[in-house]
Amino acid sequence: MNSALQRQLRRSAKRTSLYIVLVGILFIIIFPIFFLFSFSFMSDYETYSEWPKPLVPSFKADFKIDKDTEGYHLYIFNKSENDFMPFGPLFFSNSEKDVSNLRKFIKLQANSKITDQKIEEYLRIVDKESKVEFSVRKDLLANYILFFQVINGAARAVLNSLMVAGATVVIALTIGGMGGYAFARYFFKGKNLLKLSVLFVRMFPAVSLAIPMVIILARMGLYDRPLGLSLVYSVGQISMSIWITASVFMSIPISLEEAAMIFGTTRVGAFWHVTLPLALPGLAACAMYSFIGSWNEVIAAVVLTQFNPTFPVVVYKALVGSQGQINLITAGSVAQAVPAIIFTLIIRKYIIQMWGGVKV
Amino acid sequence: MATLELVDLAKRFSKKVWGVRKMDLDVNEKEFIVLLGPSGCGKTTTMRMVAGLEEVTRGTIHLDGKDITDIPPRDRGISMVFQNYAIWPHMTVFDNIAFSLKLKKMPKAEIRQRVQETADMVKIGELLKRLPGQLSGGQQQRVALARALAVKPKLFLMDEPLSNLDAKLRVVMRTELKAIHQQTEATSIFVTHDQSEAMSMADRIVIMKDGEIIQIGTPDDVYFRSANMFVAGFIGTPPTNFFNIRCSVDGEEISLKHSNFKLVLPLKDFSELDAYNGKELVVGVRPEDIAVDSSDKALFTNKVLVVEPQGSHQVVALKLNDAIVKTIVSADQSVKPGDSIGFNFNLKRLHFFNMETENRIKTASEI
Repeated sequence: MNSALQRQLRRSAKRTSLYIVLVGILFIIIFPIFFLFSFSFMSDYETYSEWPKPLVPSFKADFKIDKDTEGYHLYIFNKSENDFMPFGPLFFSNSEKDVSNLRKFIKLQANSKITDQKIEEYLRIVDKESKVEFSVRKDLLANYILFFQVINGAARAVLNSLMVAGATVVIALTIGGMGGYAFARYFFKGKNLLKLSVLFVRMFPAVSLAIPMVIILARMGLYDRPLGLSLVYSVGQISMSIWITASVFMSIPISLEEAAMIFGTTRVGAFWHVTLPLALPGLAACAMYSFIGSWNEVIAAVVLTQFNPTFPVVVYKALVGSQGQINLITAGSVAQAVPAIIFTLIIRKYIIQMWGGVKV
Repeated sequence: MATLELVDLAKRFSKKVWGVRKMDLDVNEKEFIVLLGPSGCGKTTTMRMVAGLEEVTRGTIHLDGKDITDIPPRDRGISMVFQNYAIWPHMTVFDNIAFSLKLKKMPKAEIRQRVQETADMVKIGELLKRLPGQLSGGQQQRVALARALAVKPKLFLMDEPLSNLDAKLRVVMRTELKAIHQQTEATSIFVTHDQSEAMSMADRIVIMKDGEIIQIGTPDDVYFRSANMFVAGFIGTPPTNFFNIRCSVDGEEISLKHSNFKLVLPLKDFSELDAYNGKELVVGVRPEDIAVDSSDKALFTNKVLVVEPQGSHQVVALKLNDAIVKTIVSADQSVKPGDSIGFNFNLKRLHFFNMETENRIKTASEI
């Protein structure tokens, strides 16, 4: 009886400590990502004037305006001080110019949109009652919009990135898929060695090959062009695609193709009618894998582009060149990460199939 | 409705590995041929060559007199049921069955009718809209069968189609397959390693070993007139018991001496054994030909080692020298391990084999 209780205690102690460790690890992994997302929604004022930093971005900003002999004064509510703090110009009048400047300031510093008429309305209330408190809804996506407005060529870079990634997917899936099918279905001498050797191209870091790549691409007239970059990415992605598609095709029983051939198709017909539809989820996952790979790539892109950078390069340069404005950069980073995250979530169901194991 | 002719067919996988060494076989119209043999004997390879899924190393295949050795599978006029069914998981049952008909550009109404017809024949008429994933193993098997039947093939190939089914369903399908064959009258080749399946279904059985044909014959042929010790040992459960004996001819009698018994036979019925005077040979006795004999005429008496009740009968195992001998005893006889029981052979059903070649010695007493 006693020993049974002891055993149970020991077991639950073990489990509890395991969970504590797991939660700790999870926290270490998740927290920076969470912080990145959180910051991308914060205004300048939240980012730099509050301590401790808020975990969750606020959805509105609270203001106070009062009046003395100098003129009107604007205050903003600071959560760490738990009080209204002076915000913006020392004092201002109710002239059209001052009001318009105030509106711009509020938009830039607090990510909140307010109209001139509204401010004038509040000022009239201050005139009557000596002070007014009001809150303005925060524009959560302001950082994202600002990022694309402020950073030169960011939108073009997204387009470039899409072109590069798209071309890479097409090249990698066509060539890699054909290679994978051959590895899955045919037997030939040196097959395993060949299959291993396609991974050799991934052994060398992009930086070490930078100069030859630049020279060769320049000679081909593809330097600083999306197609050139996608060719470079394809080298790595083809070998990955070969491995992935080979296991996808291997997981589809060959007898399904043989049955198709007996019941009236050619070998190619069997592929179109039977193998391709069955492999499609795996191939789509493989395509997204290539897409994510080239969408996220920075190093080769930095080296091989000049006036037509891809989006990660733009984000990278914004990060390196920025003086402050962390919230703006995080918005860029998140904008860059989101497609990859979405694609990963889409393919997560097929990741198992990617490495074999189609259910028939 | 077709004849198949395999002439000197061989398949070599690599320098040392032969799938099929030599295969000569004539299949008659409407015949149900079973290729039987242990795994790795080349029966599936033979079938795949006939289907066109495997290239032929040597020899030719003729279907209805036409050489089909080098033509692609789709043009051969054959259909096939695969061991793992190989029905396409992304198509409904209807699409699976209609696949070949659609490729032949058959009118839609006719396809629908043909599919319904064949589906009804294998009793899956209500499942046409389902996907294979929603079917049980037995139903999937029937879809594979319907798909193969819908083509109305000249030649119907089945590669161990029942081996993935559970034991009970297997016996049911066996009967149904035979009924379907009688109905469609398609020339059929059936591959199996299950000898009871072969015995119950075949018009003729082709017994293979190591890529070669050992014996071709009706179920009776291979059972009662096994061509060699391999066939005698392979066919029948439990298999044939073998006894090494010394033969000596003594006037009008032949005496066969075993360390445990001495068998005396009249020379006029077994005159072929004359040549083995003074030599050793092997006598094979099927378990059901060893009968309990409690009289003093018993050939030998031995202790029972194990009794395996089977319901309808019981298998009694004895230890004779170092060999296990199995006999079949009727269920009403009470036999217990350790009992000392007398046994006798059915002299009309003795099989004699040459000790060196292991081939059958034909005798006049054969039925």
